Amino acid sequence: MNVTQDLSILHLIINASAVVQIVMAILAGVSVMSWYYIFMKWFAVRQARTKTEVFERDFWSGGDLNSLYNSAVNDRHHAGSMERIFEAGFREFAKLKTQKNLDPKDVVDGSRRAMRATYQREVDGLEAHLAFLASVGSVSPYIGLFGTVWGIMHSFRGLANVGQATLSAVAPGIAEALVATAIGLFAAIPAVLAYNRFAHDIDRLSIRYESFMEEFSNILQRQMR
Amino acid sequence: MILERPEEPGKKYALAFTILVHVGLIAALFLGVQWKRSAPEVMDVELWSSKPTPATYVPPPPPQPEPEPEVKPEPKPVPKIEPKPEPLPPKKPDIVVKEEKKPPKPEPKKPEPKPEPPKPEPKKPEPKVPDFSKELARETATKQPRPSTQQMANAAAAESEQRASSNRRGLESYSTKIRIKIRGNIVLPPNIQGNPEAVFTVDQLPTGEVLAVKLKRSSGNPGLDQAIERAILKSSPLPKPDDPALFQRSLEIKYKPLEE
Repeated sequence: MNVTQDLSILHLIINASAVVQIVMAILAGVSVMSWYYIFMKWFAVRQARTKTEVFERDFWSGGDLNSLYNSAVNDRHHAGSMERIFEAGFREFAKLKTQKNLDPKDVVDGSRRAMRATYQREVDGLEAHLAFLASVGSVSPYIGLFGTVWGIMHSFRGLANVGQATLSAVAPGIAEALVATAIGLFAAIPAVLAYNRFAHDIDRLSIRYESFMEEFSNILQRQMR
Repeated sequence: MILERPEEPGKKYALAFTILVHVGLIAALFLGVQWKRSAPEVMDVELWSSKPTPATYVPPPPPQPEPEPEVKPEPKPVPKIEPKPEPLPPKKPDIVVKEEKKPPKPEPKKPEPKPEPPKPEPKKPEPKVPDFSKELARETATKQPRPSTQQMANAAAAESEQRASSNRRGLESYSTKIRIKIRGNIVLPPNIQGNPEAVFTVDQLPTGEVLAVKLKRSSGNPGLDQAIERAILKSSPLPKPDDPALFQRSLEIKYKPLEE
């Protein structure tokens, strides 16, 4: 045992036992992935919200439905989710309207079904990877805890060989082990926060889409007369 | 009807931000978490009160009147240390190296390590007891700080004294190392009254392994004596000095339980 003992973080990580090191590596990877998804979701949700707002403004400003539809079709790659829902509904509506022997109710129902299908796809796309964030948030503290428990077990077993228990004999081992918990918490806390935030945002967006679908169905029904 | 979904926005940004966050975290960990346990600083006190030298001494002009190569060393430390005469005596190290068992030293130039304020070596030009008032009077009279032989001798003496003090410092850090190691291994008995000092004689191998521990002077508490003896045996191998010349086969270890 040295008189001067370096307890910097690098030293702790290098000196940790293999299991703890594996746990730390897993947690580091999980942390990187979860932060990647957090940022990606963040951009995606923000973009979906601004595009929805732009489209709602265009839609309720009383423009021609046909021109809106055309712009949605032509600019498909930049269209937001709500625009795509509108596009699917209006396309179905236009197709069904040309068939003479159909009940107006069926036409509206058909377009609503098309809209619902697109809506589900869109919400599914928005919710992608949220489950990963939820799992990271709930599981990575346990992984870190496992690493810590293992490391502490290890250092206590080493203590048995020392014979005389001094704090300086166990302290480095415990510090090493606690690094695993720290990394686990670092991965988990943002993941939980982001999961709750995004779930809430996506819920609100999907409510907006659903109310838009209802309102648009009413407009189509009025057009059938 | 499957519409191709547009590309997820901001993949590159997300990656960049992710890397940024983790680099920030790692930097915070490395900079913020620097737990270090280090030995207490060895007190570095130099006694200069016995050798007064003029404070207004400037480095000698290039053409030296008496160029003696042996006594040439830069008299720099003299003006630097002179203005702070430390009244503190140097901390007496707990480990006193026994003089009689000293092995032949590889460097005979070094003065003998002694805990007392070191005397300059006899080999060096020994200054006479500096006739301080005379010199000062002459100094003020001439107003020309010339490096006289007396001053040169002073400087040489100062240098040898500094070397001695660095040697003493090494000895003191050595003794501190040993003491810290022993302290880490000791289990003090519960009933210690006061701060009694025990003196042990320890024979060690060149590798630092303890051969024998002999109680020289008891602390008055047999339990404490045994505890210290066990701690010394457990501390084997003892730490080595930074300067190999300071190594001694036989050490005298004074140990106080409540020292700090």
